[in-house]
Amino acid sequence: MGRLLVVLVALGLAAGGCRRSSEAPGTGGRTRIVFKFQPLWGDPKPFRELLARYEQANPDVELVTEALPNASDLAHQFFLTSLQGGATDFDVLVADVVWVPEFARAGWVADLTEDFPPARLREEFLPGPVDAVVMDGRTYAVPWFVDVGVLYYRTDLVPRAPRTYEELRRFTRDAMAKTPGLQGYVWQGRQYEGLTCNVYEALWGHGGQSLGPDGRVLLETEPAREALAYLHGLIADGLSPPTVTGFGEEEARRVFQEGRAVFMRNWPYAWREAQAEGSLIRGKVGIAPLPTKDGQPGWGTLGGWQLAVNAHVSPLRRKAAARLIAHLTSPEANRVLALHYARNPPRLALYDDPVLRAEEPFIASLKDALVRARPRPVTPYYLLIADVLQSEFSAAVAGLRTPEESLARAQKQVDHLTGEQPEEAR
Amino acid sequence: MPSVVVLAVVALYPVLAAVWLSLHRFILVFGERRFTGLANYAYLLGDARFGSALGNTVYFTAVAVAVELLLAVPLAVLLNRAFPGRGLLRASVLVPWAIPTVVSARLWAWMFNPDSGLINRLLGGAEINWLGAPGYALHAAILVDVWKTTPFVALLVLAGLQGIPEDLYKAARVDGASPWRQFRSITLPLLKPALLLAVLFRSLDAFRVFDAIYVLTEGGPANTTETLSIYAYKTLMRSGDFGYGSTLAVATFLGVVLLAAVWLKWLGREEARE
Repeated sequence: MGRLLVVLVALGLAAGGCRRSSEAPGTGGRTRIVFKFQPLWGDPKPFRELLARYEQANPDVELVTEALPNASDLAHQFFLTSLQGGATDFDVLVADVVWVPEFARAGWVADLTEDFPPARLREEFLPGPVDAVVMDGRTYAVPWFVDVGVLYYRTDLVPRAPRTYEELRRFTRDAMAKTPGLQGYVWQGRQYEGLTCNVYEALWGHGGQSLGPDGRVLLETEPAREALAYLHGLIADGLSPPTVTGFGEEEARRVFQEGRAVFMRNWPYAWREAQAEGSLIRGKVGIAPLPTKDGQPGWGTLGGWQLAVNAHVSPLRRKAAARLIAHLTSPEANRVLALHYARNPPRLALYDDPVLRAEEPFIASLKDALVRARPRPVTPYYLLIADVLQSEFSAAVAGLRTPEESLARAQKQVDHLTGEQPEEAR
Repeated sequence: MPSVVVLAVVALYPVLAAVWLSLHRFILVFGERRFTGLANYAYLLGDARFGSALGNTVYFTAVAVAVELLLAVPLAVLLNRAFPGRGLLRASVLVPWAIPTVVSARLWAWMFNPDSGLINRLLGGAEINWLGAPGYALHAAILVDVWKTTPFVALLVLAGLQGIPEDLYKAARVDGASPWRQFRSITLPLLKPALLLAVLFRSLDAFRVFDAIYVLTEGGPANTTETLSIYAYKTLMRSGDFGYGSTLAVATFLGVVLLAAVWLKWLGREEARE
């Protein structure tokens, strides 16, 4: 059956558009390392210069970049099949926040603890991203840029940003009563990962935690029930349009940007579009932490990408790869990514950087939200259970099942997948 | 003999490999792989998600194929008439079928957009949540499938129509049979083999439906559009659970085999009767 895997791996590589090569020596005795990542949107020049500076500083290394498909799902499939097959044709890879524990447990990404000790990461980086890359006191990746869920509101329709769920509901109801045809609160309710982020934000806002004390993925809890009931209630009470069950980020943004909604939950990228020349809501948009049940600032879901090293490559290449990661996550690189690609830096110090504060005040203003950003359950099982969470959360939000039923079904499937109930193991 | 070898390699090996994998707990990211016999199948029988995926698949297949047949027969009768521009019409009805499914599904996803999509606008500003509401989403997917494959079914039926000797109709007209009577007593019975063939092709295809639905909804909301193929794909490729994913693939395969056996038996009986 090994042959079937080889075929799958070959297919994966073909889909990625690259050829499998064994340790190809670089030209002129230099070590050749390959950096595999999704192209950043925008002018490629500043990033190319950043990479060139690494080569200048490391004359013994020849750096090659290879593009990944620009969809998280497809990139994950590529890494799943090629790393499982022991591929050595790339050295540095980008990983979504939820992949790192999975890849680390599988032994596919190298232990970077020596080059990036957790204590130093905790000092220099935002807490959420560090939690996502450190497992059992060992470092498996370094945060590259970060993202967080935030609340957008219309400054001309509501007095201020709501702090509690009750305020959010009241403000929405008042604004809708004054303006006929206006929609209330738009968010991401389609069956996909964005929905899971929204549900976890509501769960934390109701005082819940992602994992139980023993590290188990706990779903049958009171905060989880309240979170699903709250999200479904928004739709049932007409405060969110019924169509949010088909919304992703862009669908929500379109409605909000056309001035047809009071509130929106989204990632910071929507800010630029909302404030762009010709936007219908330019100058009428505020951004705030998500509300919570008791009024303290909410916890947004952590998103973003990390850099890791392929565990299958030789020690020599591994060293060069670690140096590349150090370069790409340096304060200088953080600044390049923020100024030219609007990617939020994971390094705390950057938020006090005068250049960044002057040129990209919006990015700098996200610090408070980012400090409170939380990762989805940090567990090697995450991608195994993500599908279950999406479908059961979707059923509860769409009102097909009660929160209790959905959570009980989800818990049963999750426990089965994670092997929590060995008597049921298949 | 060489043909048997080729068949064994390209058809039998992947099937046997999937069956063998389905007898394991085999999760890619854990490097975990152990033989568990029929445990995956035991879990399958109690898996509510499998039940709903099977239900969705059967419903999708039955409704889509039935509607396609109902639309294709009149369309084929029309195309069989002699009228100016017939060649052009015959060619142009195939356009939906010629567009790659992924492209047309993306197109339909835009048209189904509840706020700005064409469909709700055509319905006079209705606010139907096509892809986000359970109950609607699967029917939206059926609509896309009907739009795409009715021309193909019509063409199969047309081929059947052209095999009916014109003399029969002449004789019927001499006897004073009405057009409806001619259709019921001559066209339909003689068309039966062609219709059965179309049903065979289409239902086997529909039972494995993946691309159109995946692009439209990814199986949501609440898995109400998740078919067996989508469940198997997600389990295999997204979660890397090769053991249970293979079990689902084998179950889908068995469904297709069963369907094919039933239709072929029926088809054989029809031909024996002639």
